Amino acid sequence: MSDRGIVLAQARMAITVALRTPRAIIFTMAFPLVFLVLFNSIFSNGGDNTATLPNDLKLSAQAYFTAGIVAYAVALSTFTTLAVSLTTQRERGQLKRYRGTPMPPWTFIAGQIARATIQALAMTALLLAVGAIVYGVPIPGSTFPAFLLYVVIGTATLCSLGIALSAFTPTPDAASTIAPFTVVMLAFFSGIWIPVDQLPHWLETVGKIFPLYHLALGLQTTLSPDAKGSGLDAENLLILAIWAVAGARIASRRFLWEPQAAGG
Amino acid sequence: MVSEAAIRVSGLRKSYGGHEAVSGIDFEVAAGEVFGFLGPNGAGKTTTIEILEGYRERSGGEVEVFGIDPAQPTRAWRNRVGLVLQECELDPLWTVREAVSLFARFYDAPRPVEETIKLVGLGDKRDARVGTLSGGQKRRADVAIGIVGDPDLIFLDEPTTGFDPTARRDAWNMIEGLKALGKTVFLTTHYMEEAQHLADRVAILRGGKIVAQGRTEELGASLGRRTVIDFTLSNGLSIEDIRSRISAPVEASGSQVGIETENPQADLYRLLSLAQERGAKLDDLEVRRPSLEDIFLELTKEEKS
Repeated sequence: MSDRGIVLAQARMAITVALRTPRAIIFTMAFPLVFLVLFNSIFSNGGDNTATLPNDLKLSAQAYFTAGIVAYAVALSTFTTLAVSLTTQRERGQLKRYRGTPMPPWTFIAGQIARATIQALAMTALLLAVGAIVYGVPIPGSTFPAFLLYVVIGTATLCSLGIALSAFTPTPDAASTIAPFTVVMLAFFSGIWIPVDQLPHWLETVGKIFPLYHLALGLQTTLSPDAKGSGLDAENLLILAIWAVAGARIASRRFLWEPQAAGG
Repeated sequence: MVSEAAIRVSGLRKSYGGHEAVSGIDFEVAAGEVFGFLGPNGAGKTTTIEILEGYRERSGGEVEVFGIDPAQPTRAWRNRVGLVLQECELDPLWTVREAVSLFARFYDAPRPVEETIKLVGLGDKRDARVGTLSGGQKRRADVAIGIVGDPDLIFLDEPTTGFDPTARRDAWNMIEGLKALGKTVFLTTHYMEEAQHLADRVAILRGGKIVAQGRTEELGASLGRRTVIDFTLSNGLSIEDIRSRISAPVEASGSQVGIETENPQADLYRLLSLAQERGAKLDDLEVRRPSLEDIFLELTKEEKS
């Protein structure tokens, strides 16, 4: 069997398992959709609510929340799901078992990343469709390629960080506490729940250190009708890339195949 | 068949911190042989098997499995080696067929998936999720993913733990089937009856050292263990009468008598003639060759106390 066949089989199995796990469906797939509906109902009820981004671009509250919740959904689909599922599989002894077969280790990781990417793209499509159809979020043609590029780069960054995190979470419980909590906290700092212009300055300063802020800002920028040119921003891309490289380095050096909690 | 050694181990040592789990063991497993690797918990069985499987590095000695050092496993080598680890590691949300199909993809020349599932006796459970299987059925699923790559050597680490007697018989038939296909089987087990039934040769490990090894049926004799004749003493026959006829040690507790003999045929003849002369009846007469279990218990006695 070809290595590509192994990657696809691993990805298919990971999707199958996710779809058989009600908790995964509720927390990583249904929640972002519920948030999209809630935030749009609460904050954009009539009136012309506009949000102002830190780069002074303006966009409708609907577009603002839709873009932010896409960033949140990407983080759940990649960072959270990878940290939890890799820790679970490792502690079950499944990863150790794989190492006893001729399967090249990279094909497993690639399969997990493929699952995360497919989920992130599907969630993006779903949220954008609901945003556009239900809340009339305009999707500007000139900056839409940049929007997609941010989704792809954000996916890569948050995948590498999720894999890296799994090396530090000793049990599935630890992973499924730490990873979602991190995302929810960073979502506050990144203006996903509350627009950045209404946040205390220090909160935004802290948020700027982390990749989720730049993913959200990048997506919001590319949904703004005022965005200039391609809509890409060097600072956002650079910080996402730095985190991607850092995560990949830690993941490649520290990734664990053997169960940690059982000992022995 | 050319008898290539499947496994060659010499002077193998492994220490964790100051504790030496395996202290210099030597053995060989010939291709096509079923080798039983026995020992009480903590004797170093798992450490040794994990070194042979390529999971653990050794502290000293030489190890070769099909001419390759397992500490540097190659993909071609992994294709020849199948594993059944102690615990079930399969995702409970997979079906049996999904699990076996996934593992089949890892190998260059796998067995057909359906046939493998039938071979381990899970044919009617092929679409059941692993999480819904009983302990014994999960173990069979482990065996299925261990053999689906059609390996030449299979490590079976306690493959029948938790099996009921019927399932155990089925598993034994399956292992005999693997042997008939010319596969080499490295078996660890808690059940001496299982090793006695399946293994061509056994090694008994205690405290990190091999205390006995040899062909299963010859192990008792090579260690000077004797056949035991047991019976219940009845009227007309006394222990002294027996001692006067038989020179082998006679042990009595109440009316229970046991004779440990190196020459069971002659001593049995003497005993039966004596009983015949006196018109005595020997109740519960039994002649027992030393079982692997007897030998195992004796060799590992100190460990247990």
